[in-house]
Amino acid sequence: MLACLCAVLWHLPAVPALNRTGDPGPGPSIQKTYDLTRYLEHQLRSLAGTYLNYLGPPFNEPDFNPPRLGAETLPRATVNLDVWRSLNDKLRLTQNYEAYSHLLCYLRGLDRQAATAELRRSLAHFCTSLQGLLGSIAGVMAALGYPLPQPLPGTEPTRAPGPAHSDFLQKMDDFWLLKELQTWLWRSAKDFNRLKKKTQPPPAAVTLHLEAHGF
Amino acid sequence: MALFSAFQTTFLLALLSLKTYQSEVLSEPLSLAPESLEVSIDSARQCLHLQWSVHNLAYHQELKMVFQIEISRIKTSNVIWVENYSTTVKRNQVLRWSWESKLPLECAKHSVRMRGAVDDAQVPELRFWSNWTSWEEVDVQSSLGHDPLFVFPKDKLVEEGSNVTICYVSRSHQNNISCYLEGVRMHGEQLDPNVCVFHLKNVPFIRETGTNIYCKADRGDVIKGIVLFVSIFEETKDFSCETRDLKTLNCTWAPGSDAGLLTQLSQSYTLFESFSGKKTLCKHKSWCNWQVPPDSQEMYNFTLTAENYLRKRSVHLLFNLTHRVHPMAPFNVFVKNVSATNATMTWKVHSVGNYSTLLCQIELYGEGKVIQKQNVSVKVNGKHLMKKLEPSTEYAAQVRCANANHFWKWSEWTRRNFTTAEAAPSEAPDVWRNVKSVQGHCVVTLFWKPLSKLQANGKILFYNVVLENLDRPSTLKLLSIPAPANGTELTLDQCSYQIRVTANNSVGTSPASVIAVSGDPGNKEVEEERVRGTEDGFCLSWKPQPGDVTGYVVEWCERPGDPLCDLQWKNLGPDTTSTVVSSDAFRPGVRYNFRIYGISTERIPYLLEKKTGYSQELVPSDNPQVLMSNLTSYSFTLSWKDYAAESQPGFVRGYSLYLKSKAARCLPGSEKAVLSDDSICCKYKIDNPKQKTFVVENLQPASFYEFFLTPYTSVGEGPQGAFTKVTTPDEYSHILIRVILPMIFSILLIMILCYLKSQWMKEKCYPDIPDPYKSSVLSLIKSKENPRLTIMNVKDCIPDAIEVINKQEGTRKSLTETEPTKPTYLYLLPTEKSHSGPGPCICFENFTYNQAASDSASCGHVPVTPKAQPQLGLLTSSENGPKALGKNYVNSLGEIPAGETNLNYVSQLASPMCGDKSSLPTNPPEPALCSEYKTQMAIPMGLASPPSITLLDEGEHDH
Repeated sequence: MLACLCAVLWHLPAVPALNRTGDPGPGPSIQKTYDLTRYLEHQLRSLAGTYLNYLGPPFNEPDFNPPRLGAETLPRATVNLDVWRSLNDKLRLTQNYEAYSHLLCYLRGLDRQAATAELRRSLAHFCTSLQGLLGSIAGVMAALGYPLPQPLPGTEPTRAPGPAHSDFLQKMDDFWLLKELQTWLWRSAKDFNRLKKKTQPPPAAVTLHLEAHGF
Repeated sequence: MALFSAFQTTFLLALLSLKTYQSEVLSEPLSLAPESLEVSIDSARQCLHLQWSVHNLAYHQELKMVFQIEISRIKTSNVIWVENYSTTVKRNQVLRWSWESKLPLECAKHSVRMRGAVDDAQVPELRFWSNWTSWEEVDVQSSLGHDPLFVFPKDKLVEEGSNVTICYVSRSHQNNISCYLEGVRMHGEQLDPNVCVFHLKNVPFIRETGTNIYCKADRGDVIKGIVLFVSIFEETKDFSCETRDLKTLNCTWAPGSDAGLLTQLSQSYTLFESFSGKKTLCKHKSWCNWQVPPDSQEMYNFTLTAENYLRKRSVHLLFNLTHRVHPMAPFNVFVKNVSATNATMTWKVHSVGNYSTLLCQIELYGEGKVIQKQNVSVKVNGKHLMKKLEPSTEYAAQVRCANANHFWKWSEWTRRNFTTAEAAPSEAPDVWRNVKSVQGHCVVTLFWKPLSKLQANGKILFYNVVLENLDRPSTLKLLSIPAPANGTELTLDQCSYQIRVTANNSVGTSPASVIAVSGDPGNKEVEEERVRGTEDGFCLSWKPQPGDVTGYVVEWCERPGDPLCDLQWKNLGPDTTSTVVSSDAFRPGVRYNFRIYGISTERIPYLLEKKTGYSQELVPSDNPQVLMSNLTSYSFTLSWKDYAAESQPGFVRGYSLYLKSKAARCLPGSEKAVLSDDSICCKYKIDNPKQKTFVVENLQPASFYEFFLTPYTSVGEGPQGAFTKVTTPDEYSHILIRVILPMIFSILLIMILCYLKSQWMKEKCYPDIPDPYKSSVLSLIKSKENPRLTIMNVKDCIPDAIEVINKQEGTRKSLTETEPTKPTYLYLLPTEKSHSGPGPCICFENFTYNQAASDSASCGHVPVTPKAQPQLGLLTSSENGPKALGKNYVNSLGEIPAGETNLNYVSQLASPMCGDKSSLPTNPPEPALCSEYKTQMAIPMGLASPPSITLLDEGEHDH
């Protein structure tokens, strides 16, 4: 048995799949993007808690689920499962990129409204992280050779100010922004997990686990 | 045409005048009714704005009118507000009036109507109400849109504590609407089937982002809400104004909180002065500057108005400018002409008006405390002389001023530090001496204490010591010892000197301190007395001295035992006969020696008394080394003469001797005591500390004793130590020694004598036995050649029998004890008579422990023929024993299965005859040949036969 294992080890250098060198491909950057979505998800959990408390009840109540009034301009993360499966890589990445571009703009508006310094700090920190995610998605798209979507002129999302939009509706918008952001981060984690699996090479190497008992 | 027009106009005017005239004359007054009533809505402020005009007025006519306005809600009959509004009315003037509704206007339909009346004294005849206008309806609900649910008012801003009315308007009758305030359900009043009203009283401030109120329908996805912003607007406090230079007024206040408002809606402050009518918008939240005009306005009446989005609050302040003067700190402050005891302070003040006088306060600080305080009136220049200062001392002087006529506030302090000049030392140094006589010379060590700061009046530079020989008064010797020395040593040829010591600083010399030393050192024998110290020190007293004594000195060492000693002394007056000596240096367990000297009129100290004591006594630190001597059977003596009781940390009051013995009772002179280890012993108490020996008496001879000696002080005994063991000798041992020693000596003497006379003794006691072989007879025999003649050798004799006598000794008993003892014979030679049975097995081996021997049959259980072998009969004397055992043996062999044979005890008896295990059950050994183990030797078949030898005693039989 030991002789057999030794023979396998001796011939290991001859296995071509274990000697891969050269361009690692988009795999590592997809992995990093995936990790970043998970980190942002964690970060958002804390931020949303603080911000919703700042808005007061009912927005900080766990079972509060208002209709999506006035938040129609926010990019929706929810999508039919079959549609989601049928998305190609380019479309999948483009949707992610566009969604976070919009969400980031709304989030910056939120930052300006916040009254407490601590909340502003947290929001600014999250915006920076989200900007990083956007850059990371752009990096993956570039690695796969997809062009970045160009923003259409005049479609830059802004927070609707003024008396027409009541303060209560504004709070609803903030609530939905955070909720949508959370859903997007969940979806992105799944998107990048799927991409990661697709870009991974087929298993060609033998993994040997040799325990050194008896040596 | 023009003529026609002019005519027509004239006709109409005439007609109007006629009409007016008619109305006046015919008492049909012309009603001045409000017309063109229009009602508009301000939803944000929940206000109804009314505007109307009165047309029936003559040109340029102004009349005071009163308008009665009625506002009804939901239906016109439900009038909720009636108000009379008085104003001056001109012809066609648009009049306006507003009404703020508590209920949001969207919640219900409102209707407004009004009527007017002239309220003017000029035309009292017109003081009657006109007709009501028609109801003007205000219905906002109809323009709300098609949303299923609305909540009002939208995002209202209110002050904390106010009452707010909220309503919802539902479009559906079926829907059950529930409303919540901060997540808590509210219960309201149904205004109509679609409208519900909620009254919130005394609303609190909850958070910056407002209080959330929302309503939702139980069916459908409908949720609507509003945010109620609540602001806190506190009163402005501590409004005050003052001037420092009569040019600028500085007004300050403590702004109240205005939480809950956005920055752009927060408070702004305005300062208004009513006499001048000037107003300024303050840039800061807590202070504002106001320029005082050059026209010397004295009175000021300020109104500070704090205003926010919701409301304004004002505070007022009326004052005279000269009463609010807060002078600036004095300047050009100097301390001049500083001598040893005086200094002058000068300063200038800022002018506060042409004829004003300032009151200035001067404080003098010495060592951090205020020592002088003075008030001075000042116009422009101030001056103050500070007296009674100490020489060479650091001081700080500070000055501040206030308006003397109308005190308002002190200015800030201006401070200066200075040091007074030195003066000659005021006191003589405290001097003491120590006199020793060394090789015929007198060695005087002088000590002095440094002067205190108050006495020194400056820095002491050196000490002068003047020696005057009392025998030769003209001889003076001067020594100058630089500071900070506190003593010097002088070697004098004789001891009659007067010594004067002075301290000197840069200004002068102190008075002299005089002390004299004489030829008599004064160390006369004085009895040392013990004193008891306390935490506060040692209380010393002495007998007053007859004659002239100028004073007393108590001297002691703070570090006794130390060569430097740290000599201390205390000067006391001539009338003093006691003092308390205390020092932080006193330590428990240290013996301090005090000497009390009297000072004669010649300034010569002489020793009066000696005192010694401890500030706190401790238990002895060590125990004496005890020597034991004179040990007898009844006593021994203990001595500890080398023990230094003086070096103990307390006065040794005596000694305790502990004696342990086996005796239950303590000896006379001792008592029972329990030691720290709970052991009990006898204790002798030696009360005399000078006693250094002790005889322990009344002991028992040849007994074991342990003793331990420890000193004790007033606090307790010394440390527990080891007991010394001692055994008293036997009472007769000395007698024995007296007898045995001479006996040994005698024996030795005899032995020596015997040795010296050995030959003689030999001849007398054991003369030589002649050897036949060496005899001269042999030579005679040989010479006769007779071979038959020889000398018989004892070895050549063959005995025919050995008699073995069974001798009984002590308490040992054999089995044959019951039978009469008779000689037993061991036959070693074959005789026909002795052969009485078959040949015995002869074996002295124990087969239990020598199986190999048994297997190889080297040791013979071999049947021997009686004739071929000599027989040796070894038998027990018991006749029954071997029989019983033999029976057991046979039974055992017969009963034991083959498989268990080797485990059986019988295997120990395995012999070549019966050792074949396989044949064991079938061929049992012949009992006649192989006897039992007990004997482990050959047993003859004829066990009952008489010739038997008892070789084993009873104990050896017992297995």
